[in-house]
Amino acid sequence: MPIQSDERPIDRWVDGLPETRFFKFVAKWILVPFWAWRKPVKPLPGGPHPSFQRGDNVQCMMNLIMPLKNKSPVGRALAAMAIAQNKDAIYAGLNNVGTVHFARFVIVGDNICMFSVYDGDFTNYIRDFIATIGSVFNAVVELVEDGEKVIPCENNVEAFIQWLHERDLYQVPDTPTDFLRDQEALNGDRAVSPVNDDLTLLPRKLVLQLRANANVSLGSGYRAYPGFSAAQVRERLGLGW
Amino acid sequence: MVEKSAAERLVQAIHGNLPAPVGDRRPVHTIGMGVKGEFVASDAARTYCIAEHFQGQPVPVSMRFSNGLGGLVEHDGWSDVRGMAVRFHLADGTASDLIATTLGEFFVRNVEDFFEFSNIAKLQPYQRRHWLLKIFDYLRLKVPPRNPYPNETESVDAGALDYANRHRFSQLGIFQVGAIGAPESYARASYHAVHTFWVTAPDGVRRPVRFSWQPVAGVRNIAAADVSRDKYLFKELEDRLKRWPARFMLMMTIGEEGDALDDCTKPWPGTRLRVAMGTLTLTEVAENQEEDGERISFNPNRLAHGIDPSGDPILKARLEAYEFSRDKRGGCPFKWRQDHADTK
Amino acid sequence: MTDFADVQGNILRGYRMPRVRYLILEVADRLAARRWLAASTSGGGYGVPQITPGHWGDSRPDTCFNIGLTYEGLRELGTPASSLAMFPNEFIEGMNARALKLGDVGRSAPETWPAPFNEPERIHLIATIYAAEIAQLDDVQQRALADGKAWKLLGTREGCSFPDDIVHFGYRDNIMQPRFEGIHDPQRHPDGQPMAPLGTVLLGHKTNLEGLLWRVPEPKVLGHNGTFNAFRVLKQDVVGFEKYLDQAASHLLSHPQVDEVLPPGDEVKICQVLSITPPTRHAALREVVAANLCGRWRDGTPLALSADVPDPSVDDANFDYDHNSRCPYGAHIRRCNPRGGKIVQRVANNSRRLVRRGVPYGPRLNGTQPSGAEPERGLLGNFIGASLGAQFEAMSCDWLNLGLQDPRITGSNDPITGTNDPETSWFDLPLKSGSTIRLRGLPEFVSTRGGAYTFLPSLSAIRYLGSL
Repeated sequence: MPIQSDERPIDRWVDGLPETRFFKFVAKWILVPFWAWRKPVKPLPGGPHPSFQRGDNVQCMMNLIMPLKNKSPVGRALAAMAIAQNKDAIYAGLNNVGTVHFARFVIVGDNICMFSVYDGDFTNYIRDFIATIGSVFNAVVELVEDGEKVIPCENNVEAFIQWLHERDLYQVPDTPTDFLRDQEALNGDRAVSPVNDDLTLLPRKLVLQLRANANVSLGSGYRAYPGFSAAQVRERLGLGW
Repeated sequence: MVEKSAAERLVQAIHGNLPAPVGDRRPVHTIGMGVKGEFVASDAARTYCIAEHFQGQPVPVSMRFSNGLGGLVEHDGWSDVRGMAVRFHLADGTASDLIATTLGEFFVRNVEDFFEFSNIAKLQPYQRRHWLLKIFDYLRLKVPPRNPYPNETESVDAGALDYANRHRFSQLGIFQVGAIGAPESYARASYHAVHTFWVTAPDGVRRPVRFSWQPVAGVRNIAAADVSRDKYLFKELEDRLKRWPARFMLMMTIGEEGDALDDCTKPWPGTRLRVAMGTLTLTEVAENQEEDGERISFNPNRLAHGIDPSGDPILKARLEAYEFSRDKRGGCPFKWRQDHADTK
Repeated sequence: MTDFADVQGNILRGYRMPRVRYLILEVADRLAARRWLAASTSGGGYGVPQITPGHWGDSRPDTCFNIGLTYEGLRELGTPASSLAMFPNEFIEGMNARALKLGDVGRSAPETWPAPFNEPERIHLIATIYAAEIAQLDDVQQRALADGKAWKLLGTREGCSFPDDIVHFGYRDNIMQPRFEGIHDPQRHPDGQPMAPLGTVLLGHKTNLEGLLWRVPEPKVLGHNGTFNAFRVLKQDVVGFEKYLDQAASHLLSHPQVDEVLPPGDEVKICQVLSITPPTRHAALREVVAANLCGRWRDGTPLALSADVPDPSVDDANFDYDHNSRCPYGAHIRRCNPRGGKIVQRVANNSRRLVRRGVPYGPRLNGTQPSGAEPERGLLGNFIGASLGAQFEAMSCDWLNLGLQDPRITGSNDPITGTNDPETSWFDLPLKSGSTIRLRGLPEFVSTRGGAYTFLPSLSAIRYLGSL
């Protein structure tokens, strides 16, 4: 059957409009700020979504982004040294707290980041680490913007945990609809049906949210062997715990 | 049990939404192909399920891949859900079916929802959106509705979107349908069985699970702009299987208390235990397409001993609806497993 | 030296009075409420009941009276916002908002809680009256609300202890409380554990975690020597518990390894100590299961000291968990307090201890054949610690439910108090040979019917609040 088309040149031009530099400029400098002002969006909290279920409480992801005070190669070197000089302490802490699967410190741009996979409740995890490697936390957080108000962490336990929580990235859910539910829940909207939504607004909602939460984790992460704690893995592999 | 009248209404609702009658073919997933293969379970599979095909010895398999849309006109390149129905042939002549589609979550929870959906998501004329309106969409940072495919004059998309805007439980399913695209090959898509089943382990422990086929060759869709590519999937798979076998991994996710076991609109999170249950190898396209592609009649409730359906209302409804539709089009009758008295 | 007369009495000591009533109050008039607080610590005679302090001199009072304030209560009284901001997050959010951490889901969910716990923002002060007779409780309540202006009574909860410290589910309770440095004599009544630092239970003192100090809300007079309490109304399905013991015992009787669980002949000793007649193997197996679920035989003998039979001659407080202990890793008392036993979070041994003050409510179950609708039974529990997050919540979310402290129990909940679903719950019964028998199908025996996080201020703090 011959393909008939009602596509006119103006249609083709409009279809290609979003890719043009002109439109991208307008979007960035006019449209997004306008809609951010018209439909303000609150930042979403970081860390794994609260859940009672057991699989959701092991292998939790922490994505900490902490901007350095000294934004230069010197500042980055200081941060690198703060970690390197405390390597023994960090390993002793990780081995004895026993709930961490993987942890790494990463310098990206002028940020010192920590990405880890841990079991159980976030506050317990941080608190146990404050008890074992509090001095390392103090050494690192001293170099971070706004860090001085929560160190020494041993004397400011609750405030330090809150401070870290604020820098733990929001985990955008795996499905776009769960993302919409997150936004709605923040506004107290837990309706299911009937509702009066507009799904075509999803792109705008996502753009505005990524303006409020500039750094995010996309999805809750891939796990090769979900559902097991670090101690369970070690026990079953015969490594002791 | 769903009454026959509800099953009849379900099938009629589906028929009612067709662009043209389909005679003795299926009202949805009309276009398809029969394929033969073999399934070998992993070592772990038998510790979770006593069903015969999970014990480890190779089991012959009949499959049918299909396009989701109803109607006799083939549109391989259109964005559409694909189906993969698998029948494991057991030693005693009975069988166990596993029906999966590329859509991971359904968009209605039960039969009442489905009737409401059919009423709202009717086939309506579908036209290109006016260019001025598209510019207005861009100014509001919205993505305008897609352009119609070549020769596409009707679509259920607008009605489906309307239904989704009214019911949050349906949004994921409908959103995914809209974005699903067209695969390069039937062997390069992930298929999900959507519904929860209960599997019984050798020690008697029962677990709620969901099954998924993961293509070893990887998922790959055709470029969105290539919608005019048509009638390529049958030939592609035929050619592929002449060169080398295609394989799928069967992944079984175990649900936890608190998960939506009977709600097929809710996905389970990636933090659930996943068991690799085995490998399916496609060996050849079935020679007799009439028998192995058209007359063969799958049913999601045809299950080996050791696998039981959950209370998912859509799963229950499919038992009767599939039977009614099969009867209507003269497909092969449902042979119950050995522990049921009646065999037709 | 800490002035224990400044600390509320029910924190460091148990009163051992059989009757307890909780008054759940809302501020009706802020100024009147402040005057009431001032009067409660002024030593006045027959007016507002006096707060019982930690030291009562020579004469033991007939009735005792203590209070706890919620975050909303502190705010309603006019506590400055800068002070309020220094209280911990979990206290500010309130127990209703912490449901997912505490396992209050399903039948325990705050949405299902009866009045007044379904309106947490109205609960401002929870007053506790301890006495020997109901008439005394009524008298104190009447005096507390006499002026009619300060408070609105939202509800009451009342309990009465059973003789011999028995609680619902038939266990002897009240055996263990933390022994504190500076208060208890370390030479007397050793309990197999290190003395607990005062900061376990009072703000402003050294805590169990080396170097860590909890934030003391300022001004110092407000926060110092105060503490936090998780007050919980815990409904207990006593009938269901006894039925489960029957089921488990029957299952074990037909199990091939039953003689390892209960060596033939042991049933006589077990039934004799627990006064059970006739001394059948089924009855003894019920007690074996009950002992393993809890960690103590129903008479209080700890499994860690006597795993085969209950033994009244054993010191039921002085023990620790070592590699020889045959107390199941998932047993209730071991989950709540692993003592010196090996746990995954090694730094956390002894760091999540709690002072527990509780009293049963509802009539005791007579026999095992219920007739008609069962009355509600349970425990009015108070779980006191200087940090709700580090102690009560940490224990609840990682240890009681989830079982993160030992990989052999991870993924299972506390068998007695956990949020169990019979389809998925399990509990491993250890055998002498080292293998285990897995019990399944445990239903939820305990469900939450209300509660609140309260701050238990020192007497100076109460005077401060009265003078705002």
